[in-house]
Amino acid sequence: MDAIAANRSQLAAALARVAAGDRAALRIVYQDTSAKLFGVCLRILNDRGEAEDVLQDVYVTVWRKAGSFDPARASPITWLVAIARNRAIDRLRSSAVSRRSEPIESAEDVRDDAPAALDLVVAAEQRERLKTCLGELEERHSAVIRSAFLDGVTYEQLAQRMDVPLGTMKSWIRRGLMKLRTCLER
Amino acid sequence: MSETDHSDTPEGGDPIVAGEYVLGVLDASERSAVAQRIEREPAFASEVASWDERLGALADEVKPVTPPEATWSRIEAAIAAPAPSPTLGSLWQNLFFWRIVGIASSGLATACLIALAYLGTVAAPDRAPLLATLGQQGGQPGFVAAIGSGGSLVIVPASLLTANQKSMELWLIPTGTQARPRSLGLIAPSQPVRITVPPNLVPFVTPDASLAVSLEEPGGSRTGAPSNDIVAVGKLTNL
Repeated sequence: MDAIAANRSQLAAALARVAAGDRAALRIVYQDTSAKLFGVCLRILNDRGEAEDVLQDVYVTVWRKAGSFDPARASPITWLVAIARNRAIDRLRSSAVSRRSEPIESAEDVRDDAPAALDLVVAAEQRERLKTCLGELEERHSAVIRSAFLDGVTYEQLAQRMDVPLGTMKSWIRRGLMKLRTCLER
Repeated sequence: MSETDHSDTPEGGDPIVAGEYVLGVLDASERSAVAQRIEREPAFASEVASWDERLGALADEVKPVTPPEATWSRIEAAIAAPAPSPTLGSLWQNLFFWRIVGIASSGLATACLIALAYLGTVAAPDRAPLLATLGQQGGQPGFVAAIGSGGSLVIVPASLLTANQKSMELWLIPTGTQARPRSLGLIAPSQPVRITVPPNLVPFVTPDASLAVSLEEPGGSRTGAPSNDIVAVGKLTNL
């Protein structure tokens, strides 16, 4: 078993123990993943206090819902990231605080920013395939998809950032998603 | 397709709605409508899960940031209230029950009775449960545990034990070459605890495998292995 698979199965085993009510196992999950999930929440919320609240909420949710994690169908880290993103986005939508509006990074920035081995838990193969498929999209489509995922912004905010009509933004994203799905399932 | 698409029901149907949800581009009311569908429609929920997997690797770009120390304490506090199973809790607190068992039983027999009575309500009847008496140093029984097929485990203290600020952790020690102890979670020194043995460990639940209880720092072993402070140990046997 390679390091990634071992890492993944360790995390999956810890989640199984959490499902059985094992607090020590939740501590292990927290130690292994909290920095990643805090980074995810912070990126979306752009506010440490809010991100801390959401992070707490995320692990309490993990504690309650670990039983619904299915290692045959999901990788532990993407399951956890999905919980963190959903909680953070829900918090963002419910808060009246207006969000920063920043221009979307150019494809050049994306390449410079690509961290090689930040996360061993997502299989390299999965990462490579996503990268390849994103690369097959029109550049502006892949840029908005990436930005939407990382920043948790709405269609409307994306349209403002890119200075295009809302309908155009929806069309870009939906087309991008359709192509991405086809490509990833090849 | 025109460059501008004003329709709100996207071409591509559910898979695209699920993708939009995962991407996070929907507004609050759209998100809550989709969240309700996830709860109600398994096929749609699985579409969402597929998108979580497809796009999850994008999170690799996010730099990890260590959260403040206090966050873990807050999580620990939030999950602290133990939720004992109502069946078990009520049996444990039932005075009538205690009067009956008090008449003629030692702590050990009481513990056996409780473990088996309780397991009877959760275990499949097709296979006899495995039973272990976990002896302390000096031979006094410390706990009685019963494991039913499927991995439902009940562990009951058989004598008065104290953990002195430490946590008690239960370990499964498989037989043979796989003999490394595997944690089954934390238990309480003074009340019965029900644990579900994780599916990957169920194959190790065999006669002659052992159960052990160790004293660990609060929260349990950080190393994945028990400390040297083993308070009770015993072999599983067929009933």
